[in-house]
Amino acid sequence: MKDIIRAKCLISSDIEALINQQIKKEAHSSAIYLAMASWCNQNGFDFSSDYFFKQAEEERMHQLKFYKYVLDMGGSAISPDITNVKQEYNSFREVFEEALDQEISVTQSIKNIAARCYKEQDFVTLEFLNWFFKEQREEEYKARRALELFDVIGEEGTGRWEIDKHVNKISYQEA
Amino acid sequence: MQKTKSQISLPTARFDEVFSTEKGAIYQSDEEVCWYVDFAGKLAKFDYRNLLKLQKAVYKIDIENLLLSSDKSPDLEIIFICACDHCYVLSLIEIISLKELLQGAFVMLELNHIIFDRLHRLVG
Repeated sequence: MKDIIRAKCLISSDIEALINQQIKKEAHSSAIYLAMASWCNQNGFDFSSDYFFKQAEEERMHQLKFYKYVLDMGGSAISPDITNVKQEYNSFREVFEEALDQEISVTQSIKNIAARCYKEQDFVTLEFLNWFFKEQREEEYKARRALELFDVIGEEGTGRWEIDKHVNKISYQEA
Repeated sequence: MQKTKSQISLPTARFDEVFSTEKGAIYQSDEEVCWYVDFAGKLAKFDYRNLLKLQKAVYKIDIENLLLSSDKSPDLEIIFICACDHCYVLSLIEIISLKELLQGAFVMLELNHIIFDRLHRLVG
């Protein structure tokens, strides 16, 4: 009896399900960043708004990268429903705290896929995930540095204006 | 004159039984690259995508909820798969049987995959 399923699809159904979950997570992230961009814009933080617009685009790009991988491997990629996007924030700082949480949660979720890949000895997907691990180093670094600006500069007086100006300048130099 | 065994032309399509229960069976056809599901009085052909869709449709039925539901509607489920010629209208008992059949079949297909990997792909 031929192994038809393997001939049709390189990844297992479990890995496919996990990546589809990740596709949803990236799409959700992108939507959250868009909401953050809107909040910052409405509250006069123009540079931060631009920063979050860029982040939203990046997350969307990550989503598509996962999406295309599933299809290229012969699996079925699922276009996700996105609900539950927080639109309102209590403070400028809260936006950045949640942005960091979001990135940490994405990193953990990709680590979870990698753990499953090791279990199944799916080295093909593991190699694909490496790009994302490298990307997450940068994403978490940027989110952490942005949040640190609140402590370094302080929010008093023109502090928030100063923080906003610096957010867009954060860049990651690879180790 | 009586035909010898070698002269009789037999149908070439060959089925391998993947899994069977008392209620039905699933066969694989290597030539046609598909599966035949013998269940609820019919033999239905499913290709790779549709077999996965059938699995998904059956697995997502909340059997416990149907068992506990006290409303008067008949416990029938319609399993309809987009772009597939077949449709099942099944009672709760049949759904449980079909789920058992599919679960068994997918375990056997996974086992077949492992055997292929270990015996043919690595050794051959």
